[in-house]
Order: sequence, then structure tokens, then C-alpha cells
Amino acid sequence: MTQAQPESATLSDPNSRSAEFVAVQGGGETTSAASLLIAAYLLMWGLLFAFVFLSWRRQARVETRIAELEKAIAAGGGDGSARQ
Amino acid sequence: MTGTKDKWFYGLLVATAAIFAYLIGYVFLVTPLAQLQAGGLAQKIFYFHVPAAYAMYLCGTVCCLSSAAYLYSPTDARDAAARAGADCAVVFGMMVLGSGPLWAKKAWGVYWTWDPRLTTTLLSVLVFVSVVMLRAFAGNGEAERKFASALGVLGTVTLPIIHYAVLMWGGNHPTVITKTGGGLRHPAMTHALLVGFVAMTLLAVLLLWCRTRLSLSLSRVARLEEQAISTGQID
Repeated sequence: MTQAQPESATLSDPNSRSAEFVAVQGGGETTSAASLLIAAYLLMWGLLFAFVFLSWRRQARVETRIAELEKAIAAGGGDGSARQ
Repeated sequence: MTGTKDKWFYGLLVATAAIFAYLIGYVFLVTPLAQLQAGGLAQKIFYFHVPAAYAMYLCGTVCCLSSAAYLYSPTDARDAAARAGADCAVVFGMMVLGSGPLWAKKAWGVYWTWDPRLTTTLLSVLVFVSVVMLRAFAGNGEAERKFASALGVLGTVTLPIIHYAVLMWGGNHPTVITKTGGGLRHPAMTHALLVGFVAMTLLAVLLLWCRTRLSLSLSRVARLEEQAISTGQID
């Protein structure tokens, strides 16, 4: 099976991709769709889990602080555990 | 009451996880490949990219409505919801701006182009980033809260511009979702997108719930600290 050689003028014109597709052998693929897809999914899930983890950690710190302050206020100046 | 809220929260969490598991399986195992010009295998990013953009709109709307309500009559709950909306809008916006270029690399040959929809999306995310930064670094006073609320309203006003940017100014960005049926030429593609919308809506509600709770807790810490300072418990 023989393939027609592409016209060099067509390949050198970047606007040709909107009007026509020509057959090439081998091609110059440098980025695979699979790696882009995996990268996109990792990025999205990574962002989400990082956000959830940071929120959870901050919520835990804030709850601890609330408990400290409530204890100190209830003690009415007792042990000064909330003193900064 | 707290027990009932917890049940709702964990129920929502389980439902969201189940729908996402189904979505991932469906997108990778059932949904057909699109044509190479649309990105081929990379086009499957679409089923998360578009729902993430929709979730950003949703969180932006929550930020806008809560900010407007706060400006009308300030309460901690309204401020917390506005802050949560801006936080979550930034996260979903970053998902959109992170995944889109990876798809574009395959479909367009470049990661980024100053296309109207891309540019307006970036602009909106930057406005929400400014709200988040303002609340994080400018203190928690009444003036800062009101300024952030005004900025939150402004940020959401830019969201409809993103949607209509392609229609008004053209550009490379796909317009497969239209009022007249859209350009998804296979029932499995439409199904995957609809499931994606449901999954991201539930995720947005969960994240908004968590961040609102966190913001309310921060307001409570501020009030307790004021009380402790006034009674001499802390310096």
C-alpha cells in the first residue's frame, strides 16, 4: 500500500489544518493523549484532595482553639491555658 | 440537630463518592472516543472540565448572593457563606484552568491561547482569588468583610460574560453545549456529561458546607478571643 507524499507547501502552512488533512508517515507526535489525560485527572484530583486536607486540618486546629478559649473563659482566669 | 446535620453530610458524602466512581468508570469504559481533531482520547477531560466550570459558576453565585445579603444586613453566617463560595470558586476555577490547557494541547496544538472564553475565565478566577487573598491577609474587620463582599458581587458579574464570550467574540473554544441540543453526537457522551454535572454539583455542595462551617468556626474564635481579652484571659 503506497501513500501519496504530502505537498511540502501544505505542511509548511499552519493554516492548512482548518481546511484539509493530508496523510503523513510517522508524523511528529510529541505529546500523547493518554499522558495529557492522566495529567489532567491527577491535577484535578490532586487539587481537590489538597483543598479537602487543608480544610480538614484547619478545622481541627480551630476546634482545638475554640475548646481552649471556652475552657479558659469558663475557668474565669484560672490556669491561663489560652494565654498567648 | 447536629446529629441530623451529620447524617445529611455523611449521606451526601457517600452519594458523591458513589456517583464519582460511576462517572469515572463510565467515562473510561463506555464513552466512545471523539475524533482526533477534538483531542481523541484527551477529549475525555471534557466530562470533568465542563462540570467543574459549572461548579465554579455555582460557587460564584453562592458567593454573590451571600455577599449581597451581607451588604444588605451583615451576619456571620452570610459572611461565612460568601467566603466559602469564593474559596470553592477558586478551587473549581483552578481545576478548569488546569485541565483545559492539557486538552487544548492535543486539540489545538498549544496549551494556551488568548481566546475570549479562556481570557474571561482567567479574569473571573483572578477576581475570586483576590477575594480569598483579601479575607486571608487583610483581617476580619467589618470594613474588610464589606469590601470583600463587594468584590464577591463583582466577580460573579463576570461569570455570564464567560458563557457568552464565545457567542459574542468567537474563538477556538468548543460550543458543543447549546440551547438547540448541542454537539454531543453519541448518547453515551450526553449521559457522561449529565452524570458529571450531578457529581460536581454534589461535590460543590459538600465543599461549600465544609468551608462555611470552617468560616463560622473562625468567626467564633474571633468572638471568643475578644471575650477572653476583655476578661483578661489572654493578652
